[in-house]
Amino acid sequence: MAEPQMREVAFRGGGFVLSPRRGAAAVFFALLLALWELAIRAGWISPLFLPAPSAVTTALWELALAGTLGLHVGQSLARIAAGWSIGTIAGLGVGFAMGIWSMSRAIGVPAVSALFPIPKIALLPLLILWLGIGEPSKIATIALGVFFPTAIAAYSGIDGVPRNLIRMGQSFNLPWLAILRKIVLPGALPGILAGFRITASIALILLVAAEMIGAQYGIGAFILSAGNLMQTDQLLAGVVLLSVLGLAIGTVLSRLERWLLGWR
Amino acid sequence: MELVVEKIGHRYGELVALEGIDLAVREDEILALIGPSGCGKSTLLGIMGGILRPSAGRILVKGAPPADSLNPFTYIFQDFALLPWRSVEGNVALPLEHHGLGAAELRRRVADVLARTGLAEFRTAYPKQLSGGMRQRVGIARALAVNPAILLMDEPLSALDAQTRELLMEDFLALWLRARTTAVYVTHNLAEALRLADRVAVLSRRPGRLRDIVAIDIPQADRATPAAQAQLAGLHDRLWGLIKAEAQIAEREVIAAGASYG
Amino acid sequence: MRKFHIFAGAVAALAVIGLSPVAQAAEKIAVGALRLTSSGPIFIALEKGYFREQGLDAELKLFTAATQPPLAVVSGDVDFAVTGLTAGFYNLAGKGGVKIIGAQSREESGFPLIAYMATNQAWDKGFRSLKDFAGKSVAVTTTGSTFHYSLGLLAKKYGFDVNSVTMRQLNGLPAMQAAFKGGQVDAILVPSVGARALESEGAGKILGWVGDETPWQLGALFTSPKNIAERRPMVQAFVRAYQKAASEYHKAFNAKDAAGKVVKGPNYDEMLALLAKAMEQPPERIAIGLPYIDALGRLDVGDIYNQVAFWQGAGLVDKSVDAKAVLDLSFVEGHFNLPR
Repeated sequence: MAEPQMREVAFRGGGFVLSPRRGAAAVFFALLLALWELAIRAGWISPLFLPAPSAVTTALWELALAGTLGLHVGQSLARIAAGWSIGTIAGLGVGFAMGIWSMSRAIGVPAVSALFPIPKIALLPLLILWLGIGEPSKIATIALGVFFPTAIAAYSGIDGVPRNLIRMGQSFNLPWLAILRKIVLPGALPGILAGFRITASIALILLVAAEMIGAQYGIGAFILSAGNLMQTDQLLAGVVLLSVLGLAIGTVLSRLERWLLGWR
Repeated sequence: MELVVEKIGHRYGELVALEGIDLAVREDEILALIGPSGCGKSTLLGIMGGILRPSAGRILVKGAPPADSLNPFTYIFQDFALLPWRSVEGNVALPLEHHGLGAAELRRRVADVLARTGLAEFRTAYPKQLSGGMRQRVGIARALAVNPAILLMDEPLSALDAQTRELLMEDFLALWLRARTTAVYVTHNLAEALRLADRVAVLSRRPGRLRDIVAIDIPQADRATPAAQAQLAGLHDRLWGLIKAEAQIAEREVIAAGASYG
Repeated sequence: MRKFHIFAGAVAALAVIGLSPVAQAAEKIAVGALRLTSSGPIFIALEKGYFREQGLDAELKLFTAATQPPLAVVSGDVDFAVTGLTAGFYNLAGKGGVKIIGAQSREESGFPLIAYMATNQAWDKGFRSLKDFAGKSVAVTTTGSTFHYSLGLLAKKYGFDVNSVTMRQLNGLPAMQAAFKGGQVDAILVPSVGARALESEGAGKILGWVGDETPWQLGALFTSPKNIAERRPMVQAFVRAYQKAASEYHKAFNAKDAAGKVVKGPNYDEMLALLAKAMEQPPERIAIGLPYIDALGRLDVGDIYNQVAFWQGAGLVDKSVDAKAVLDLSFVEGHFNLPR
């Protein structure tokens, strides 16, 4: 009998595994911007429809030269900071109550479901009647938008804390407050931080709505005004500012997550 | 300190989990609680330590806990119940923090118990960085840190693989032989019960009733000798005889329940 | 090769269709407007078939905000549109997107369209005349809006500095009226229906009307430069239909007696019913705010020049925008107030 022939077993794995490609995004966006610029310079697209990246950059530069860039960004940041903080603190308070006490849950869940979907822009006239056209109504618009998702994230986060950890705390006679502070709060933190990502974006989205209320400065007011005046280069410049702000806030949140949730 | 279980019964809604359990845990012994799955062993343990309210009966203690015991009834959990956001020393420190010990004393106690359990070099590690066996060592260290009067152990080794279980059992025994803390040890593993327990309480399947209590009159330190092994083999058969038929029924019950979900 | 034959055949077929008299008889066009009485001639021309008379198959596209119709002309979604003239409009027109060819409504004495109102608080503190506007705060939609220009004209008329008036931009009438009711501002510019409501609620006092104070060319009819260049006969046909409808509107609603008082024209009821149907509103409500529209769509050209200059002065319209380039006066004869 002949020696059986030896063959190598064919490799069938591979694929479906994603590996990081550093710099790919940067190159892609650079190419996209270059193509965009070229399309307008070459006259394929009318600048009336889409201003060139250079025009948007110029608009930003002029804004910086005029000294209003800082005013727009500063006032918007102040509104976001105040509105987001108020909405978050209130949302965490209500969310924690809903996560801990059955009564709060029984009342809170239908209340949140009923009030969350109300478009905040529709409430602007009411907010103006209650709070005027100064900063309070603008801050309240953002705070309202932030409040509900925070409350939901907080009570879902608490629901996600393993019950056995709470039982463990009780078995060691930990005081109620210590269980809350040392077990429930850190256990709910991943869910709460995920909620922060959403509410930070909501705050940015609502900035435009908030600055509809008699704002002279602010990125949202700037975008609104550019839209009304059909200044498309400035409109896009404002959008770029908003994106940069979103990116910056996202980066800060990522750092915060890495710092607070290093144990995961 | 002795623990007396008096006419304990428990039900979850319509389901009767425990019925008429009378039992006494003697000072300085390890009492193993065995029985088929779902017989209410863990429920009974929860009732004994006061974290579950029984439907009937009561739990009594005879004698006062030692003055230096910070948490007389202390559990060791099957799933370790470690806080994933705290390091090893943070987890061990948790039950000490609300006793106003002072920072230095707290550190000393934590260091001491970590040294005793062989965890000193892992003190800054987080639970996710540890193997299952090491995690349960942290669970044991945390329990010992409070100088318990009674250790209540809920299948502490059943989440671990066989080798780890063996190693940890020996380590635990060594610790126990030094301190001789009264302990209730819930398990479904006969070998663990025979290795550790002074007495083995056998529960029947649902509703859990006490079927028998089997004493093992060989000191734990001497159980490795051939003569002791032979005697233990006999006890093993006797215990297995007590629970085998019911374990079979219980197993089929589980499968039937699973099938009805499928 | 086979593909080429099919293609050639299709081209030939298209050419035949394009040249046929049937297609010429009804040229498809789209017209953009807001559902407002100032767009009246468009609705009249559609309803009474004046576009069809001119061989145009007109489709109406309704918009909800004044910024939208000019954008629709630029994008080619509509061929013609009518809307109010804002700074944004001139920025768009200045880039060559649209050209004004005729008039829409005009602020005119005797036609109460937009009211200046003072809150009760401001009234009590002595704000009782339009002369006292300096230093007051006023609710407007946005800077660069028709309200803004009206204020500019008012400032010039009474000799106060328009920059001393604080314009609160509230981006919409509901928010403006809420701010006014809440006393957050001293004054408001508000369309007649809203003004009557605020007055009857006792929220404030009407100080005057824009039309009475400072007549100006509020709105315009415009099309794309491409239509003017490539479909001139169609544009002319459209303007003829528009003028016919504007005349009917003017006859019904803009007639004045010997004393200068506005009186109902002979076709008043017919036109009011027609507009009420188009607006989907009761006729009584429509009758409150019927603007002045020139019978032949003639523009106050001098005012257009003034508007561009005003916006440029306020920094809201690019300096490069030339009023002359924004207008094409060749479709309507007899425009007013032509600058020399």
